[in-house]
Amino acid sequence: MVDAPEFVDEKIEEIREQVGDGKAVIALSGGVDSSVAAALAYEAIGDRLIPVYVDTGLMRKGETESIRETFAFMHSLTVVEAEDRFLAELAGVTDPEEKRKVIGEQFIREFEREATEADADYLVQGTIYPDRIESEGNIKSHHNVGGLPEVVDFEGIVEPVRDLYKDEVREVARELDLEEVIAERMPFPGPGLAVRIVGEVTKEKVEVARDACHVVEEETEEHEPWQAFGAVLGKATGVKGDNRVHGWVVAVRSVESRDGMTARAQELPWETLQRIQSRITGMNENVARVVYDVTHKPPATIEYE
Amino acid sequence: MTRIVVIDNHGQFTHLEGRALRDIGVETEILDNDTDPEEINADGIVLSGGPSMDRVGRCADYLDLGVPVLGICLGMQFMAVELDGSTHSGDYGGYADVTVEILDDEDPLIGSLAPETRVWASHADEVDTVPEGFERTARSDVCEVEAMSNPERGLYGVQWHPEVAHTAEGEAVFEAFRTICESR
Repeated sequence: MVDAPEFVDEKIEEIREQVGDGKAVIALSGGVDSSVAAALAYEAIGDRLIPVYVDTGLMRKGETESIRETFAFMHSLTVVEAEDRFLAELAGVTDPEEKRKVIGEQFIREFEREATEADADYLVQGTIYPDRIESEGNIKSHHNVGGLPEVVDFEGIVEPVRDLYKDEVREVARELDLEEVIAERMPFPGPGLAVRIVGEVTKEKVEVARDACHVVEEETEEHEPWQAFGAVLGKATGVKGDNRVHGWVVAVRSVESRDGMTARAQELPWETLQRIQSRITGMNENVARVVYDVTHKPPATIEYE
Repeated sequence: MTRIVVIDNHGQFTHLEGRALRDIGVETEILDNDTDPEEINADGIVLSGGPSMDRVGRCADYLDLGVPVLGICLGMQFMAVELDGSTHSGDYGGYADVTVEILDDEDPLIGSLAPETRVWASHADEVDTVPEGFERTARSDVCEVEAMSNPERGLYGVQWHPEVAHTAEGEAVFEAFRTICESR
């Protein structure tokens, strides 16, 4: 396990040395990794770091507001509203890898514009060790590996947490006094809710996924999952009142893990599952049924796409 | 300090093997599997898992370095095939939670886990015949050869993944391997 206080001092010094008098940008996602990377860089170079948060429209409920609050101390924080542009690019795209690619490319376009405007010399990224491994092994592509540097001509890239595991990053987050909510926050994938939607991403499905994730996070909280969420799979038949419904199937996933490399599907109480089911079908008229995913990793991955 | 290196056969858990060794206080390094055997300076070697027997590089050379070798998953299957045992594609893939029965409670590597232990696995293929000089030391309902040992030569294999967090007594396996390495 990483020695957090020592790590923080060391990285701040390193970033200061590398960036010198230059400026740096970071894409802040609200997840633990980029939050920690941003906080380290901010400690090192202050407002010469420009954190850019892109609201892709694929974020969790309340995410954008909480980012504004949590990072209010960074005066240079820039929030970009880009939901419409992302949804337009995603229309008609069904292949999982293609979806990730489309999101990655749009993200780069948004970010490139901001980085150019900010006249930044360095790019700070929250890449962690498993991101690099999974990308190298071609299991899934990670959007914070590669991509950006080829488009924007940065003088250098700063990846302060590149050798850490998730649990170690959280350790460092605590050391940095990042609000408990960030330090303990569940991992949230780079491409956002898009990977919790099987098939084409539409505004309707995003809204279902967002609400389902919110319900699942709330209802599973006392069972302390490593990660818990709802995903939109496809359509199936249901009956609501006296009407047949052809509505969305929502899969609920709640797993225990240390580092995301392996995961165990949680044994949730029946009452908890029923409450989740009731809230999701009750509040979303277009959801026909809710199922619970009992598969461990391996053979399944944690996320659906 | 005892030094145990991990040979990377392109497995997704290779880095966790490095981490597990680091966590028990062993000096470790992850090496590409085409590393020249003469450049390997270690008290023990771990052969990682991986996607394909065609990508094990120079693993065969590392069996002859005179230091203990622990093959994990594909690393064990490779060892079996290389030393004239055999593998086959199992009818029932071993994924996630598996209860392993320890067949030899005196085995230097996993004897301390007897009578049974819960492990995390991820494999489609399995060893069916262990090579000459080896003993089968563990089995499960989904795989008849969950571990094998040749204490005389210091060669060991486990089919499951002691390095992942969900394996209950994974650290004990690495501790035992450390002891094996230190007592040679």
